[in-house]
Amino acid sequence: MIAIEGTNLTRGFGGFVALDKICISVPEGQIRGLIGPNGAGKSTLIDVLSGRAENWSGQVKLFGEDISPLSAQQRRRIGLARSFQRTNIFPDLGVAEQLDIAARRAEQPNVGEVLHELGLAPYAHQRAADISYGDQRRLDLGLALIGRPRVLLLDEPAAGLTVQESMDMAEMLRDLAQRWGVTVLIVEHDMDVVFSICQHITVLHLGRVLADGAPEEIKRIPEVVTAYLGSAA
Amino acid sequence: MSDSITLSNRPRGGLMASLPQRSVFVLAAVAAAVGIFLPGLVSSVLLLSLMTQAVIGAITATGVGLLFRQNGVVSFGHAAFYGSAAYIIGLSMRYGLLPAELAIIAALVLPPLLAFLLGLVIVRIPGVAFAMLTLAVGQAIYEFALKARHITVGDDGFAVNFPAQVFGISVRTFQHPSSMFLICWMLLIVILLALQVFANSPLGRLTVAIRENEERARFIGYRTVVPRAFVYALSAFVASIAGVMAVLYNGFVSPDMLHWSLSGSVLIMAIIGGPKYLWGPALGAVVFFFIKDFTGNLTEHWPAIIGMIVIITTLMLPEGLAGALARLAGAVRRRGNATGEAAQ
Repeated sequence: MIAIEGTNLTRGFGGFVALDKICISVPEGQIRGLIGPNGAGKSTLIDVLSGRAENWSGQVKLFGEDISPLSAQQRRRIGLARSFQRTNIFPDLGVAEQLDIAARRAEQPNVGEVLHELGLAPYAHQRAADISYGDQRRLDLGLALIGRPRVLLLDEPAAGLTVQESMDMAEMLRDLAQRWGVTVLIVEHDMDVVFSICQHITVLHLGRVLADGAPEEIKRIPEVVTAYLGSAA
Repeated sequence: MSDSITLSNRPRGGLMASLPQRSVFVLAAVAAAVGIFLPGLVSSVLLLSLMTQAVIGAITATGVGLLFRQNGVVSFGHAAFYGSAAYIIGLSMRYGLLPAELAIIAALVLPPLLAFLLGLVIVRIPGVAFAMLTLAVGQAIYEFALKARHITVGDDGFAVNFPAQVFGISVRTFQHPSSMFLICWMLLIVILLALQVFANSPLGRLTVAIRENEERARFIGYRTVVPRAFVYALSAFVASIAGVMAVLYNGFVSPDMLHWSLSGSVLIMAIIGGPKYLWGPALGAVVFFFIKDFTGNLTEHWPAIIGMIVIITTLMLPEGLAGALARLAGAVRRRGNATGEAAQ
């Protein structure tokens, strides 16, 4: 079954076309990587799928149901969660407190589970602004994981993390996705993270899908290597 | 994995919020006892009258502080709700529209209702633009009161003739400084306690979360406009209570009760006291009234002195007097703990 599907997604900023009739579908349970150079349209695609973007056209479906007219909060309530490129937490609230607020909107209020899975339990009663950047990134992810969403959209979750923190996060994501059966669409510039956890990769370039396939196939496509991967391949 | 997360050690919220709930009620009981004995200790009627006005100001400033604390915005137009409440009662009495009791209830219901409906539109607008909109709405109501002379008697204002008893209480009780001081003091304590309960409620915590990061609040599944409009209405309700008390005490209404300068004064009270703290604006109001009275006896340029105090407070005590007192209390507590540990 297709978990999340976008059809003919188009969005422009003035004369610049950020998304040009993009079609993407992610099967249930898959971890899909979304890569491409800056300005390729990755974050815009996440924004359109999650309900953050305005003035876009096309159709978004969640498990076959058209969710295009739904607001961001309505999409969240039916199981579509996201994290942000910039750490997006409640700095003046406690770690557990903000997870608890998020849990009030969830059918499965799994605050303790999220604290434990993300290693945030020791900081449960600390102010979010007072914990380390790496822990804040995990808290950002934790806010998205409250209620065990069906589909998780992650916009550069490893941005600003050390190599070790990035790999730990990748490992945790793969483990959680597998155990919870969450479908993940992840935008990430760290190719080690992408190639280590993604079962399938979509490459965007100038608002269009340049390539789509398994990681090993992607690495062998000359256009992708030229446009983005370079020596990383 | 257990989901029973205890939130008792919450890191937010200043002196009162950091105290256990029982201690807050003990503090309130002490404050109530002080209020009972205070009028007996003050022989001057003038001073008692000043104290009563200060407490009414403290209630209004508490409403403005609530808006700042929960929604993170300032209002330049809370006199609109304070004055509207007074005018609803005044006009009802003048034209015999409603019995005094019903007029008071209407004065407590209609301004917050207006604020809620208005809030549904203006809370979407951030920062200075929000403040300017509150100013515009406030001045529009002021202009109406000023220009609609055939209804409001315009600039002159008018005396409000209450019946001999309101809610079974002699109206003289409301118009005598010592008894009215006690009523307003107790009311202020009840309001502070109620707002403390609200701040710790799920809705109170949600509005702080929205204040902190509205986008994130939407992406964890919350609508963000209605909770903020509710806080705006709640702060208007608190200002309306003050307006009701003011008209009961003074027996007079005038457009000055709606003017932006009153909104500005209330904001200054909140800034001096420290709006981040629940009790800060109330403290600021008391300080404001006494400085105003003292400097007003010295010079007609007393607003310049108040202005300088605001500048000094903003620069040297960014969290206001309440913030300074809270820090002092924290330091004393830490020193006490350190001394206790050393003695062991």
